Amino acid sequence: MPHASFSPRIIPPLLIVALVGLPVFAAVFTGVVAGDGATWDHILQNRLVPYTLTTLSVLFMTAIMILGLAVPAAWIITQYDFPGRAFFSWAMILPLAMPGYVMAYAWADLMGVAGPLQSWIRETTGLSARDYWFPNLFSSTGLAFVLATTLFPYVYITARAAFSMQSRTSIEAARSLGAQPIDLFWRVSLPIALPAILGGLCLALMEAAADYGAADFLGIQTLGVGIIRSWQSFGEPNTAARLALALIFIAGAFLIAARIFQGRRGTQQTSSRWQSQARIKLPPVFGIGASFLCSIILLVCFAAPVSRLIWLAFENSASAADLGPLIRSTFLLGALGAAMAFLSAIIFSLSSKRSSALQVATRLIAAAGYAAPGAVLGLGALFILRETGQALSGGIAIGFLVWIYVSRFTSAGVEPIQASLARLPKNLDLAAQSLGSTGLKQFLRVDLPLIAPGAFAAALILFVEILKELPATLMLRPFGWDTLAVRAHAYATDERLAQATLPSLLIVLAGLAPVLLLSWRLGQTERT
Amino acid sequence: MSSRAPLIADTVSRSFSGNTAVDAVSLTLEPGKITSLIGHSGSGKTTLLRLFAGMEKPDSGRILSGTTELSGPTAHVPIERRKIGLVFQDFALFPHLSVRENVSFGLKRLKSDERSACAERWIDRLGLSHRIDAYPHQLSGGEQQRTAIARALAPEPVAILLDEPFSGLDPAMRDQVRDAALEAVRNAGIPSLLVTHDAKEAMVHSDKVAIIDRGRILQTGTPETLYNTPVSEIAAKALGPVHSFKRANLPGDWQNQIPGSSDIVAYRPEALQISSGSGFRVVRQRLAGAVSEIELEGVDGENLFAVCQLGSHIQSGDEVNVSINTSLFFDFKE
Repeated sequence: MPHASFSPRIIPPLLIVALVGLPVFAAVFTGVVAGDGATWDHILQNRLVPYTLTTLSVLFMTAIMILGLAVPAAWIITQYDFPGRAFFSWAMILPLAMPGYVMAYAWADLMGVAGPLQSWIRETTGLSARDYWFPNLFSSTGLAFVLATTLFPYVYITARAAFSMQSRTSIEAARSLGAQPIDLFWRVSLPIALPAILGGLCLALMEAAADYGAADFLGIQTLGVGIIRSWQSFGEPNTAARLALALIFIAGAFLIAARIFQGRRGTQQTSSRWQSQARIKLPPVFGIGASFLCSIILLVCFAAPVSRLIWLAFENSASAADLGPLIRSTFLLGALGAAMAFLSAIIFSLSSKRSSALQVATRLIAAAGYAAPGAVLGLGALFILRETGQALSGGIAIGFLVWIYVSRFTSAGVEPIQASLARLPKNLDLAAQSLGSTGLKQFLRVDLPLIAPGAFAAALILFVEILKELPATLMLRPFGWDTLAVRAHAYATDERLAQATLPSLLIVLAGLAPVLLLSWRLGQTERT
Repeated sequence: MSSRAPLIADTVSRSFSGNTAVDAVSLTLEPGKITSLIGHSGSGKTTLLRLFAGMEKPDSGRILSGTTELSGPTAHVPIERRKIGLVFQDFALFPHLSVRENVSFGLKRLKSDERSACAERWIDRLGLSHRIDAYPHQLSGGEQQRTAIARALAPEPVAILLDEPFSGLDPAMRDQVRDAALEAVRNAGIPSLLVTHDAKEAMVHSDKVAIIDRGRILQTGTPETLYNTPVSEIAAKALGPVHSFKRANLPGDWQNQIPGSSDIVAYRPEALQISSGSGFRVVRQRLAGAVSEIELEGVDGENLFAVCQLGSHIQSGDEVNVSINTSLFFDFKE
């Protein structure tokens, strides 16, 4: 066995480590060394501090709203029986299909002065637009609302799993000690589920920190927006690098926190005993109340924005004529990026399965790519281009874009593949080797068929994630290679919302596929 | 004080989607006594415990505390208002709370200083003072078990129900934990139910044993009564080994001594007392803990089974004399 000594087998994973890690390194390195004393004060006072504070306050509000949406929904869905419970149990995941920027376009229209909500207020009250207060989506709170409505399923999924796996006997013991239903939630279930909930929250906040499209559209000066503005509009690459450093620090901190919380779930007692005990059936009034609450969440986070986009598309009889080239370039970039990221994820998974020495390095690098927002990686690519003296055009641009996709999303592909590898018996390799299958033959005959379901999920997730990706694509795409996301964003920020609807709807439609797959996989492993 | 009232099941029945789990069971749990409920898995013993606790509603019949109806046609007191302590096989400690906080959980109505004094008293009583700030995952199985018992007893419940509380412990420490735990339960002076499938546990540690099979109570009484005068073969087997034999194959002088007239007679192995002599040939002997089991050659290939003390040096092939204790022969047909 070539475990101890150097073997040509470790070359491919090392190459992937370098490939994934280099853009992160380029951005971080430039952030650390860049800049001289003269501009540092300017960067710090006018850019870094305000952008960072804005980002943190948006994340804080997002966290509160996510918890408010996800935890009560997960609680009533796991503990009680009410009309439509089974439907809501999986439908609550649907908002994951909406990228933040699409949610922002839809809600901007719904809440606009000419939108249906304000029109209805004016019609029923007879007031004019200046006579009443209406919440403004184009604010930090509005951005937090948009991010929370798209990201709360991260917490919903982990909270639902934690609540439904909780030992029934803990609940019954608490009741026998006199705990009322409200005590059960605050004194038993919530504290026990807290590590899982906070783990999910940290992942959601990491994604929220990576947002560029929604913040840019709503005009909120977050770090993600600041990076791209500093590079493109202000011509201050050093500022961009500093902001990127701050952003990757925040995102990385959330990822590390998420891993710590996930590790702590080990202390949760689980029991299979009496788990089949039925959920408490709510009396009709409360049952309808529970259905109503779930309906409101689903309406706000999915049904209303999607149907508004569909309505707008029809109302303006949006032309599908110019979609052809968009779909073509989206599909080509998505397929190329997904293929390369998939290959990289497979090599990652199999190498970390074989050599424990590589495991630490691969995990670390994959995590770095995962935590790095698209804007940071795009900036890293631009720095590499600058240092190597290449121009951002044609094949080189596409090459770099695909590289950034690999760097950003390899980790998203590794997760489902490793999940299926983890289910394999440990001695399978030895069994295969004893039967004369080694190396590539073993991979094709043993590993590949076994991980096929996980690999399919990985490929699908990669394709859709790349299709939704906005900031890096915006920064690196060559001329004539606008994707659906890029064009939707251009239309929307140009106040041509009607034209943004069709590309947005196509993105949501594509996003539904992995969400439904996820929902199905969760349904297989959980009885909720 | 109402805590001295017995806890009573009065002809309670409960079925789940057509399968009767508990069938018209009546059982009284006397205060200050440990009543064991013994049966196989699926016999209905856990369902009966859950009916007592209020985790299930009976389809018919009543659960009473003294004369107060807890479950029945006119009332169903929810579990959180019954003041019945529960101890589970998986301990069900709250993983996010320390030993002190677990034991204090049910003491919410007390003032904070009384609460901690009360919790500390119970923790001390169960020998856990040195672990008072530890969390459940830091405790051994026995310590978790004792924490669970302290937690159940601290709020001074009107009864305590223990659902196979010792079967999760490793056998080496089981006896030690069990003695301390049941001592505390007995001293509480309240009705207590010990659900178990371990015959030795039921006989050694309880004042009263009830045997349950397929949802029905077969027999209730002191351990001695149940061991010595079982009402049926199933009841006999619940508390210890029992063998049966065709009456016609017994030696002639035994046939007259053994009570009853059925074709088949049953006996506990202790009914056969082995001494040196002749008459029976030992086919096999093997060790079974403190005794050795002896198999004796009988008629028509129907061998007899006996036990004898270790150190009697009986080996396969030996000839031995056997006398009988007729009180340990049973005739279930009558």
